[in-house]
Amino acid sequence: MHYLILGNCAAGLNGIEGIRSLDKKGEITLISAESYPAYARCLITNFLIGTHSEEDLYLREKDFYQKNGVKVLPGKKAVRIFPKEKKVETEEGKKIPYDALLIATGASPKALMVKGEEKKGVFGFRTLEDAKQILKRAEKAEKALVFGGGLIGLKAGYALKKKGLAVEVIVKSPRVLSRVVEENSSRLIAKWLQEKGIKIRTGLAAREILGDKEMSGVLLDNGEEVKAQIAIVGKGVSPNLSFTEGSGINTHWGIVADNYLRTNFQEIFVAGDVAETKDLVTGERTINALWLAAQEQGKTAGINMAGGEKAYPGSIGANAAEFFGLPFISMGCLQARNGEIIRERKEEKKFIYRRLVFKEGRLIGAVLVGKVEAAGIYMALIRKKERVENLMDELLEGWIDYGKFEKILEGENGFRETVTPDGRLIKLP
Amino acid sequence: MKRIFVDEERCLGCRSCEIACAIKHSHSNKLEKAIREQPLPISRIRVRKDENNAIPLQCRHCPEPSCVYACIAGGIRKDEKTGLVVFEEKKCVRCYSCVMVCPFAVIKLGKEEQPAVKCDLCQEEEIPPCVRACPTGALFFGEAEEFQELMEKRRKRGEKDALLNTG
Repeated sequence: MHYLILGNCAAGLNGIEGIRSLDKKGEITLISAESYPAYARCLITNFLIGTHSEEDLYLREKDFYQKNGVKVLPGKKAVRIFPKEKKVETEEGKKIPYDALLIATGASPKALMVKGEEKKGVFGFRTLEDAKQILKRAEKAEKALVFGGGLIGLKAGYALKKKGLAVEVIVKSPRVLSRVVEENSSRLIAKWLQEKGIKIRTGLAAREILGDKEMSGVLLDNGEEVKAQIAIVGKGVSPNLSFTEGSGINTHWGIVADNYLRTNFQEIFVAGDVAETKDLVTGERTINALWLAAQEQGKTAGINMAGGEKAYPGSIGANAAEFFGLPFISMGCLQARNGEIIRERKEEKKFIYRRLVFKEGRLIGAVLVGKVEAAGIYMALIRKKERVENLMDELLEGWIDYGKFEKILEGENGFRETVTPDGRLIKLP
Repeated sequence: MKRIFVDEERCLGCRSCEIACAIKHSHSNKLEKAIREQPLPISRIRVRKDENNAIPLQCRHCPEPSCVYACIAGGIRKDEKTGLVVFEEKKCVRCYSCVMVCPFAVIKLGKEEQPAVKCDLCQEEEIPPCVRACPTGALFFGEAEEFQELMEKRRKRGEKDALLNTG
């Protein structure tokens, strides 16, 4: 058995562990576009701030690949897949055969699509290499502009602010985190960031990057010129799937995965930011490009590649972060569009906000700012799709009476190995 | 694996377990000093209660823990040998991802730079201090089968008591 894995981040790494949980012997080859061992991509923020060294970011022990019998081909890219021949072609024209293939190639930052974008000083914020280049340039820079008010952009801006640079976040939409949280949380978080010295300007975009070889500023679409030495592009990501062209592999938003993370080819699996899966809440097909999803998908795909039959329950859009000591967590659907019921609680002066969204008696979304401890319970309720119509207010107050939740959470990850009222001991899985 | 089990019927909500846990995870390991520590030590067990019910909760060391998948720093793992869900506190970057997915809401973050913490089952102790501190026997430390036996005994005794009362 020869397993081939494309990609060496959360999904690829968990793919290895998934395979090895069932098959200790099969050969594993891993093709990695980057030349580092798997690292915590989300922690490039911390690397940039300076609290973490490169080694701190490594996700596994040095001998992980060796121990797991994985042959790593670093700095290589797959350019074509031949599903009928069961081969993958690399950039230098080498064809690598496989019996089972895991596509975990991730995603790349979208470009700004403006003149001058190639100038030195314009960065995506995705890889350790990006962070290293930004770090180098930040040493002699005074001001950074961040384009895009998503989590990536804000994280980069946060790190650069912590490094002492002046930071301006330029957002086209009327608010930051428009795809992560709803208006109230967005306003609260933006206010907090501004109080901490990050300037946020909405309704604006870049028209041109100014300067010679190196950028010296940005011309905005209102005609204003802003001096800056660094521009971070945080306009979202698109899945890396160009190599599947002509292969017959089903793609849509991303590479289409079934409930077992299989593509339309029996022996080709997909996981992570390149995988399109069913959204647990909406039921629609989508890419939830999240660390949590990538790890779970990678592990599940790996198990199935090795002959297991582990269903993937679906992904859920969910994010958590903390900026300057203010945490927030969001999950699922946050807007009332079609008969959803909203319950919310605000303490704006304290930067506390909580919003729960219910539909047909079930919790389908939650956002918490400031006080976030109970978030996981909401997540469990959303995932289990339990009816909670009688508990809406209690849930909002963050008051969780486990007596009432017994039936709801029973069996969830081995909860209630204690004895139920009829004397039954819930069996440990 | 040996774990902490709960007989909720016996929990009075006195929070002795919380205090014992906080002391155990303090620098001084002494109540009189621990209450003056800055930052204050954090209890990994929490009693949830209302007028009628109380239940002490702590990390259940789930068989397939969501927190392991959620941790963006690679700081949480499920130890195959011991069954423990292990937090490597020095890796924590306070991203709250584990808090986001823990179905029991038993992961806690202190103020500012402190890492996320949760029950580690007090590996170096024969019996975890929270269990020792429980005055009513609501907390039990051992194998699932042992707990089941104990519960059966308690239930039979309860039935007998009930019969005596009605008789």
